[in-house]
Amino acid sequence: MKDKTVLKVEHLSKKYCKELRHTMLYGIQDIARNAIGLSSDSGRIRNGEFWALDDVSFEVKRGETLGIIGANGSGKTTLLKLLNGIFMPDKGRIEIRGKVGALIEIGAGFHPMLTGRENIYINGTILGMSKKEIDKKFDEIVDFSGIGDFIDAPVKHYSSGMYVRLGFAVAVHCEPDILLIDEVLAVGDEGFRRKCISKLNEFKSAGKAIVLVSHSMELIQGYCNHVIWVDSGVIKSIDTPLKVIDKYLRHIVDIRQTAVKRGRRWGSGDATITNSQLLDADGKEVTKIKAGDEVSVVAKVKFKESVENPVFGMLLKNSEGTWVYGTNTMWQHRRFNTFYDGEEISVTFKQKMHLVSNVYYIDLAVAYSDAITSCEWWENALMFSVETSEQAVGIANLNSEIFVG
Amino acid sequence: MTEKITVYEPDRFIRLGFFAVWREMVLNLVMSKELIWRLFLRDFSAKYRQSILGIIWAIINPILTVSIFIFLNRAGILNIGETSAPYPIFALLGISIYGIFSTGLSVSSNSIIGAGSMVVKINFPKISLVIASMGQAIVDFLIRAILVIILLIIYRFIPSWTFIFFPFVLLPLIILTLGLGLILSLLAGVLRDIIHLVSFLTTLLLFMVPALYPAPRSGIFADLNRWNPLSHLITACRDIIISSGLTDPFGFLWASVISILIFLISWRIFFLSETRIAERV
Repeated sequence: MKDKTVLKVEHLSKKYCKELRHTMLYGIQDIARNAIGLSSDSGRIRNGEFWALDDVSFEVKRGETLGIIGANGSGKTTLLKLLNGIFMPDKGRIEIRGKVGALIEIGAGFHPMLTGRENIYINGTILGMSKKEIDKKFDEIVDFSGIGDFIDAPVKHYSSGMYVRLGFAVAVHCEPDILLIDEVLAVGDEGFRRKCISKLNEFKSAGKAIVLVSHSMELIQGYCNHVIWVDSGVIKSIDTPLKVIDKYLRHIVDIRQTAVKRGRRWGSGDATITNSQLLDADGKEVTKIKAGDEVSVVAKVKFKESVENPVFGMLLKNSEGTWVYGTNTMWQHRRFNTFYDGEEISVTFKQKMHLVSNVYYIDLAVAYSDAITSCEWWENALMFSVETSEQAVGIANLNSEIFVG
Repeated sequence: MTEKITVYEPDRFIRLGFFAVWREMVLNLVMSKELIWRLFLRDFSAKYRQSILGIIWAIINPILTVSIFIFLNRAGILNIGETSAPYPIFALLGISIYGIFSTGLSVSSNSIIGAGSMVVKINFPKISLVIASMGQAIVDFLIRAILVIILLIIYRFIPSWTFIFFPFVLLPLIILTLGLGLILSLLAGVLRDIIHLVSFLTTLLLFMVPALYPAPRSGIFADLNRWNPLSHLITACRDIIISSGLTDPFGFLWASVISILIFLISWRIFFLSETRIAERV
């Protein structure tokens, strides 16, 4: 039982149409062909169509979690919709054992005028639960959502967080054998997120399969057995989370570096950061480092007005925008005299990067002596990726040594 | 424990064979009955919750139309002719029955695209949206029926005992409306213009069927009515209440057969192409 394949996808392809004109024409054509029992002849590309998903194959076994990563518009959601049976494949085959539950959009089908209670019944029925099942699970659903007394208020009065929580609560209680999740754990507060994740673990240990689409590398690395990286409709890589994420992040750094997308700048302009560099121990400029490497962040600052006792700072963030570490000269009790118009200096922040594998960004800033008003703040001035040899999750790499005995 | 195995592949239903598809369709419909009821309740309570005038809206339109016809008749501009019941009863009953068709058609053709993101984000039998929307037309009819009963009391008109068969005579009309609604809701997903076309057609058809006037015996309208199944169905529904039995049983019979055929064909087309709609909406 344990090794049973519950989801089998073979050479799956799906085509889309770019233009509205063609969409309508082909739509009527396809309906007409289906109506008279002709084959849709879907394996052929017509004028204006393209493959949104091309020759995708994979398998998921009981108790496994499959992660899907990729840029926006790469075909992740299309894949989930095919697995859920919302679309039919144009080529290939999907075989599913058991009941599929999908969280593609939470709260789709909620009616704003009706109460939370009524919407639980409607949404539950849409997701395939009977009235008896809903009756039985009702208290559990309300409890999980944390909606409380608001359950008898119309959902239009709900906050967006409450809305999502209720939708998620209904969906996870419909007892699927295979759960499809599309980037929904990103919403809700920390407490609810933890609740969702513990619910997912419960699913996993009950031998259910999960397919998880997410932009959160943390989640993918922490919860998936295998990961697929989809890019423009094709599978770029399918492997363990560590390997796929590593390839994916390296790819992102490559395309972003060449695009010179270096973020916004704001501030009074009394001083500007003319250049920023990330240097390794040998003074060579780098964009990819190993965990624990010593690197220097160098900012060249040019003053355009006199600034008394300025504060220089940096902020390190990961790909999800979480602040990993920030420091400045004021917090390190450094005082400077006035820098005058035209003066050019260089500020170096030197540290060891004890980080987990991910993409990181650095903001650089020069502020007045209050450390609040900025002369210039440069968002995402630098970008780099960290590679590790061992898998780990979280933000920091504490390099634990593990003793057993 | 036997787990259900689902397979998605292109031309799945062609591979399945002609009769197996009918079986799937019936199973699909039976499976949806709870969902249909829920969706109906949803639309019903949402519609009547915030509007005190909800019920008034359902009757204001037929009252106005019938009043205009009564006025035109009295003023001699329009000659309605002999009716088997006092004209207000005759006309209000006619327009209420026609309302099942016209309201039903407009709500059901709008039901899929009106459901919004639900259609694109959740997999469920879409036919339940169309059938549930028909419920609105029936509720509207029941509200109007109260008005008809009030008129019956005012005019001291005793309906024929055959009115107990009314639900059965009404059934073909509902089946016809549902059949057209299914195919129109599908097409509306691809071509939005269908919605405007439907509201235009139902307005036009009101004057082409014997709802506000008795079926003429000669002339171009008599021919039109003879070949229009809708006319037979409406006449039959009204006759069973006010003229003791069907005046044209044969017409009613073939119109019913046509309605059932239209429904079966539309249902099949709908079932075979419902996933196309999620792609286009």
